Amino acid sequence: MYRIILEHILQNRAAIAGLLLLVAVILIAVLGSFYLPGDPWEMANAPMLWPGDDPDSPLGTDIMGRDIATGMVSGAKVSLLVGFASAFISALVGITFGALGGFYRGWVDAFLMRITELFQTVPQFVLAVVLVAVFKPSVVTAVFAIGIVSWPPTARLVRSAFLVLREREFVLAARTLGMSDPRLILTQLLPNALPPVIVISALNIATAILTEASLSFLGLGDPNVMSWGTIIGNGREQVVDAWYICGIPGIAILVVVLAFNLLGEGLNDALNPQLHKR
Amino acid sequence: MNAIIENHLTTNVGAIHQNATQNVPPLLELKRLSKIFTTDAGQVHALSSVDLVLQRGETLGLVGESGCGKSTLARLIMALYPPSAGEILFDGKNIAQSDKAERLARHARLQMVFQDPFSSLNPRQSIGRTLEEPLIVHRRGDKVARKARVSWLLERVGLHLESAWRYPHEFSGGQRQRIGIARALALRPDLIVCDEAVSALDVSIRAQILNLLLDLRAAYGVAYLFISHDLAVVRHMSDRIAVMYLGKVVEQAPSENIWRAPLHPYTQALMSAIPSPHRKSILGNKKRIILQGDLPSPLNPPSGCRFQTRCPYAEARCRAEEPLLQAADKGHTVACHFAIG
Ligand SMILES: Nc1ncnc2c1ncn2[C@@H]1O[C@H](COP(=O)(O)OP(=O)(O)O)[C@@H](O)[C@H]1O
Ligand code: SF4
Ligand SMILES: [Mg+2]
Repeated sequence: MYRIILEHILQNRAAIAGLLLLVAVILIAVLGSFYLPGDPWEMANAPMLWPGDDPDSPLGTDIMGRDIATGMVSGAKVSLLVGFASAFISALVGITFGALGGFYRGWVDAFLMRITELFQTVPQFVLAVVLVAVFKPSVVTAVFAIGIVSWPPTARLVRSAFLVLREREFVLAARTLGMSDPRLILTQLLPNALPPVIVISALNIATAILTEASLSFLGLGDPNVMSWGTIIGNGREQVVDAWYICGIPGIAILVVVLAFNLLGEGLNDALNPQLHKR
Repeated sequence: MNAIIENHLTTNVGAIHQNATQNVPPLLELKRLSKIFTTDAGQVHALSSVDLVLQRGETLGLVGESGCGKSTLARLIMALYPPSAGEILFDGKNIAQSDKAERLARHARLQMVFQDPFSSLNPRQSIGRTLEEPLIVHRRGDKVARKARVSWLLERVGLHLESAWRYPHEFSGGQRQRIGIARALALRPDLIVCDEAVSALDVSIRAQILNLLLDLRAAYGVAYLFISHDLAVVRHMSDRIAVMYLGKVVEQAPSENIWRAPLHPYTQALMSAIPSPHRKSILGNKKRIILQGDLPSPLNPPSGCRFQTRCPYAEARCRAEEPLLQAADKGHTVACHFAIG
């Protein structure tokens, strides 16, 4: 079953492009910290060097003389970490709410969906800003804040899948075996509800990376961690004289967000059985 | 097809009589069983005060048009949802009053084969896993014993042993139905409820699956509640037949009685609909009844006799007074004001 899905992914151009871009970013994060082990906050060279001016600082330096390449590597790690971790939290909360609501229906569902609606009515970014501000800016708070604001769509998706799946005959068959509810949910319904969750999680990663960059740009990032948003925030005063300081991390964010969007779109096509028949 | 099946037809009447005389409770007994679904459109009277008895090792056929409440009956028996009124006794015990251990034990003895072979198997589970699942849930044997049992089951229903590693989409409808039967058989149940188990299959495959069910009955003495909208299929499988119309049992008799001397006008209409060269000789010079119109809505069942809107013999009394099931012959009951005498 999963082999077939993998084959479909490998036949999908969007998915391949997204996957390649993603691999490139992971390589930069891993190999980069190997070749550029320095502290991104340290003054490493003369300030305001343009890319290519000095081979020691291939991507130039900012106004404080901090090496941008080192900062980019640090930012890549932060972006990937925050993206994956917060999308994981979002999936976990969304699956739990959606699965319980769709499986038990009735008042359980009404209660859980009311909470979901509550989270959906507050604008995501505003809520994330408030959460980070209240709980001290750090990578961990950013991960939790972004995860906590982004789960409602996943919950709705899982709930609607469960509402359909619970009436399917193989689920009834498992019930007539006397299978317990947790086992029923985990072994029968969830595996069949997972593909769209994987798609939405890829898109959640993209959104999370953007949100983290925005938080850092606003100075709500971890004060000890250099992220792409931090570099842009620091460079925004010189954007006319030295556009590369904002431009390099800006392009990086664009590429990563594009990568996860392509991947999500490709997965969506690959996992959609209607498209296979054509 | 008929000839193939007839060769396999075994009658369990002897066993049934023995049980009756020894004062053992019947395997399954339904008492005034009713189910009302509350929907946006109103209250659906899917099942109204149904009484049925099924003895050990017996096959009871349940026949009636689509929408008359057969699946509802099956699902109530499987405890997939609770009845609105009435009782279900399994082995003499009310299933609504069982504790957790009793419930689990009953699940092992009471299994079901579903209608849709494309929906009844988990698409993300290998066949081996699907067949092993009942054994895991009921803690039967260790890993080695379970694998052996899975192989045995596959062989028993006529599938290759390698099927265990395959996934449902790799099988045809008939093969999937064999897998569904193997799953129902895994725990060696006393009763298997077959809800339209062959209706979704090609006619050629149908006979094979029916024969498999008959084989299993002969080998293990399993009882069936065999549900179908097709009287011809039900007749070949069943010792006794109950005919349902709009949530009610209207006639119940040994299979041969239903076939030779159907008393209820609705049963006669079902007989008339069977495309068979023998039909003339069976029905003799009885009038052939063609069913007119659709099944009335169970949201608002007709007053008096529920068949009144489509019955060619309907009279004023039928609209005013509901006919009760009365004995017409030994083991033959019918609910019609004019069927007896
Ligand atoms: N879950 C349900 N909710 C509402 N109505 C239902 C439900 N299940 C069955 N019904 C209705 O009950 C009636 C009997 O249905 P069913 O038992 O499936 O009939 P059959 O199996 O004989 O075709 C139908 O009118 C059907 O629409
Ligand atoms: S009671 Fe009347 S309407 Fe009902 S089946 Fe008999 S004759 Fe027909
Ligand atoms: Mg049905």
